[in-house]
Amino acid sequence: MSEPVLAVEALHVAYGPIKAVRGCTLRLDAGETVAVVGANGAGKTTLLRALSNLLPHESGSVRYLGAPTERAGPHELARRGLFHIPEGRGTLGRLEVRENLRIAYDVRPADRSFEAALERVFERFPRLRERHDQLAGTLSGGEQQMLALARALINPPRVLLVDEPSLGLAPALVEEAFAVLGEFHAEGIAILLVEQNVYSALRLAQRGYVLRQGEIVMEGPSAKLLADAEMLKHYLG
Amino acid sequence: MLAEQVINGLVLGSMYALIAIGYSLVFGVLDKLTFAHSEIFMFGGYVGVLTVALGVPIWWAIPLAIVVAGIQGLITELVSFRKFNTPDGHITAALSSFAAGIVLIDVTQKFWGSDPKDLGIPNTIYTASTELFGLQIVYIKLAILIVTLLIMIALQILIARTRMGRNIRAVAESSTTASLLGIDVKRVTQQTFFIASALAGIAGLMLAMRGGFADPNVGLSFGLKALAIMAIGGMGDVRGAMIGGILIGVLEGLAFQYGLGKLSEVLVWVLMIVVLLVRPNGLFGRSVNRELRA
Ligand SMILES: Nc1ncnc2c1ncn2[C@@H]1O[C@H](COP(=O)(O)OP(=O)(O)O)[C@@H](O)[C@H]1O
Ligand SMILES: [Mg+2]
Repeated sequence: MSEPVLAVEALHVAYGPIKAVRGCTLRLDAGETVAVVGANGAGKTTLLRALSNLLPHESGSVRYLGAPTERAGPHELARRGLFHIPEGRGTLGRLEVRENLRIAYDVRPADRSFEAALERVFERFPRLRERHDQLAGTLSGGEQQMLALARALINPPRVLLVDEPSLGLAPALVEEAFAVLGEFHAEGIAILLVEQNVYSALRLAQRGYVLRQGEIVMEGPSAKLLADAEMLKHYLG
Repeated sequence: MLAEQVINGLVLGSMYALIAIGYSLVFGVLDKLTFAHSEIFMFGGYVGVLTVALGVPIWWAIPLAIVVAGIQGLITELVSFRKFNTPDGHITAALSSFAAGIVLIDVTQKFWGSDPKDLGIPNTIYTASTELFGLQIVYIKLAILIVTLLIMIALQILIARTRMGRNIRAVAESSTTASLLGIDVKRVTQQTFFIASALAGIAGLMLAMRGGFADPNVGLSFGLKALAIMAIGGMGDVRGAMIGGILIGVLEGLAFQYGLGKLSEVLVWVLMIVVLLVRPNGLFGRSVNRELRA
């Protein structure tokens, strides 16, 4: 079996005395979409922030494309193709929409020009074309989510970490966001999706992990997790 | 004469603005104040002294001031800011940079004494003048205005149109998000300190060239005033610092003209108190954007 693109072993993360992630072991294979679901406060955001080295690790190991990540800064991981869409979308509201996209394009050498990449993004997200010269902070919540996804699309990463794309969005917009993730999957990007919106996430993903109080308490193919509704409810409750 | 005081005010305001922009850039990126900044400005005058001592043409002082002040800025970042990057690091960084500034004053005084030090340039450099539209224009003042204008235009282009400027604005808004987008926050911080300090160094040099001497005490008087100007213009707002600097300079010139004498010095501090009471974010502060986003 080939090595996973992201391999996490017994990862512990703490905020001072608060142990937010306790011994998580998980993996993401090339081209796979994996969901990590859990209730509010389960440690999902902490896990993702630790994976992109925004938070220090108490112990455990993380390997990305076969190499340990411990010494890399978040920007270095981003440049190596590990792209993290943070909780709350990470809109740079005082920059123009186009500038947000430009920064994401510049993250690593691209195989097409900025203009060509921008054109491709605008074809997928026509709303952003209309608003390209506006400050990103003036976009609606749904548009900001599109911008966050567009920043991944403009220079496609190897691995995408997404933190609650559905947060604060109307159902129609949630569907739209998940549809875009489905397209990323079809293009071969491996996705680690963190969600409270369990059913949408597990329907999109091939596999899933259930996180509770910083520990993984269930894991398996999505269909199997969804079939065990009683257990899911118990852990997410 | 009124017009002459306006020109004097503009010259003064140029230097205020250059220093205030530096405070503003650093505050924008780190949300922290650097109290070493006013002393890096002070030392700019001594770059003039050094240039004369080296025996090279005096205009060499400009690139030298950029390099020397820039390096002082990098050192400040390294010793007084790099380690204190947590939310509760604000006060530590402020204290540490304040100490760094005092060290710079002491070192300067050790080498050149605690009294103002004559640059030793021919006084024609700072007195030569010409008559223009019935006004007596001193060349050096004209040069200061032109240099400042060029710097401001360059800075606007840098911030608004270049990759470095875009990265600086991104880090200013959110260093976390910026890092997730591949921006090397440490490098951007260093660039910001370098630019901010270089501007202060040039301002210090120009002040010395205008008077013909370098003064180890200007940091605490003149330099700190620029901090007030930043607060008046809007914390972290570069445009506010530019406009605020010029505005205060001209107001001081006018106050002097109308016989307020030494009292004109206190104007800026009173104005700061009043502006902060009415608009805590300063005249051009960010509250407007915050409202837009909400
Ligand atoms: N900055 C922080 N400082 C201290 N505790 C935190 C911080 N952020 C999160 N926590 C705590 O860590 C736990 C996990 O939080 P989080 O990772 O945000 O969960 P989730 O994303 O699953 O809702 C919670 O108990 C939360 O209160
Ligand atoms: Mg969360």
